[in-house]
Amino acid sequence: MSDQAMQTGENSALQIRNLDFFYGDFKGLKNVNLDIAHKKVTAFIGPSGCGKSTLLRTFNRMYDLYPGQRAEGQILFHGKNLLDKGQDVNLVRAKIGMVFQKPTPFPMTIYENIAFGVRLYERMSKSAMDDRVEWALKKAALWGEVKDKLQQSGLSLSGGQQQRLCIARAVAVKPEIVLLDEPTSALDPISTAKIEELINELKSDYTIAIVTHNMQQAARISDFTAFMYLGELIEFNETSTIFMRPGKKQTEDYITGRFG
Amino acid sequence: MSDSSVSAGIDQHARQVRKFRLQDRLFHHSTQLFAFVVLATLVGILVSLTIEAWPSLKEFGPSFLWTNVWSVPDDEYGALAAIYGTVVTSVLALLIAVPISFGIALFLTENCPVWLRRPLGTAIELLAGIPSIVYGIWGLFIFAPLFADYIQPPLQALLGDVPVIGGWFSGPPIGVGILTASIVLAMMVIPFIASVMRDVFETVPHVLKESAYGMGCTTWEVMRNIVLPYTRVGVIGGIMLGLGRALGETMAVTFVIGNANRINNSLFAPGTSIASTLANEFGEADPGLHIASLFALGLVLFIITFVVLAISRWLISRSMGSEGL
Repeated sequence: MSDQAMQTGENSALQIRNLDFFYGDFKGLKNVNLDIAHKKVTAFIGPSGCGKSTLLRTFNRMYDLYPGQRAEGQILFHGKNLLDKGQDVNLVRAKIGMVFQKPTPFPMTIYENIAFGVRLYERMSKSAMDDRVEWALKKAALWGEVKDKLQQSGLSLSGGQQQRLCIARAVAVKPEIVLLDEPTSALDPISTAKIEELINELKSDYTIAIVTHNMQQAARISDFTAFMYLGELIEFNETSTIFMRPGKKQTEDYITGRFG
Repeated sequence: MSDSSVSAGIDQHARQVRKFRLQDRLFHHSTQLFAFVVLATLVGILVSLTIEAWPSLKEFGPSFLWTNVWSVPDDEYGALAAIYGTVVTSVLALLIAVPISFGIALFLTENCPVWLRRPLGTAIELLAGIPSIVYGIWGLFIFAPLFADYIQPPLQALLGDVPVIGGWFSGPPIGVGILTASIVLAMMVIPFIASVMRDVFETVPHVLKESAYGMGCTTWEVMRNIVLPYTRVGVIGGIMLGLGRALGETMAVTFVIGNANRINNSLFAPGTSIASTLANEFGEADPGLHIASLFALGLVLFIITFVVLAISRWLISRSMGSEGL
């Protein structure tokens, strides 16, 4: 069924068509085509510099911040091309949230870290905001640990807690898609396990795209896996297929640890 | 190797170590000495100012601070007009300079095209390097006449009839005065505040800004909610650096403030500042109460600067405390 879905574009949250990406003169992505399935976890794997983070950063136009970086092609989101000039970037980013490699709590209280993003797009009463903050922190499995210290600085939390705070922050604005850029690479194994568990729960509500260096992680948590190499999408399929019966030699070499 | 040569080697080694230790101690003590020279200088200046100012302090007592008289013929002196001029020009200068500096720093770090970044940054640093006397003559001969002809009359027409603040813009538009001094001061402190702000804004990790942009923040929201709180300490420091410079600025202010030892409600009116009074009067001051009063003014300026510094420290430590950092 999933092959069908991938080909027709039904049930896909993002459809990427003929995507090229340039860092100045360097071509970082070469003609990438794939669909990100709705409410599934899609993992991007590949050796460093293969373009997986670059690809993720085109989904919310993060590259816009840097002069000299540009993307060509199409990324369809609800039928509209995200790369269009007229596209409201701020709105896109509210709908497509992102969590980064390093935890990045804002320099404010735990409560404000969550409320801040919500306030950008919604007006609500204090009690509604309290509820939203609690909801988001529960979603991120952090509520129990911080409910008594919501007014403390977000920076006072441990690394793993900070990262879950960042996930709560991304979830709080009720996006459709959450992009995770190596969210556990700076964390210890226990925190990593918590985040993976969390991703598994979040996919019932959100479409998730995750970049990871850790192949076991991709195998554990994702429904689909994309293997990238030197800016090209080499193979994209259901995770079980990629890891059990990879179709391409390069994919097989990479997942069996022969290179990368 | 024989025993004797081994022990000779050890001896040699011990001598070497002793020598190093001696050098280290020497180094430690000499740096300590340099550091203490700073303290000694500070205390020395404070003490000698107080001694020189003593006759005036004894004569007028603390009322020196709030007496609005400065009369050489009557040998009566009070610092109020000079303190007023100093504080008002500095505060006005900051009111003008801080938003502009913030805008400059924001543009340079967030919006500026790459090719323009270096030239613009260098220009700001060059602006900081212009000697204050140059600002002074420029202010007196070029800015003040233009200000009198083209800015003061419309300002007066616009705001002159507004209750309360109307009075600030009353009086003849003669160019020199408190407002002119404030504006020239603002120009002089902008490069300092702007370059400090730019430097601290650049210390904000990219990924922190990206995560705010990633939530859909606009540049302004990122600045206001992420960059400013993150760099608060540095920004306050930069503003205080500017304030310190404005308070003590002498030459440029002397040129454009008008040097009238009185307090006038109007910002167009000439006034004086502590530093410009000192610059104007030291040359021909008679020994006695006049010179002692000038020293007392110097002491007051010293204390004002000290208080400003103390307040900024307090602000910084308080804001850090409130964030739980």
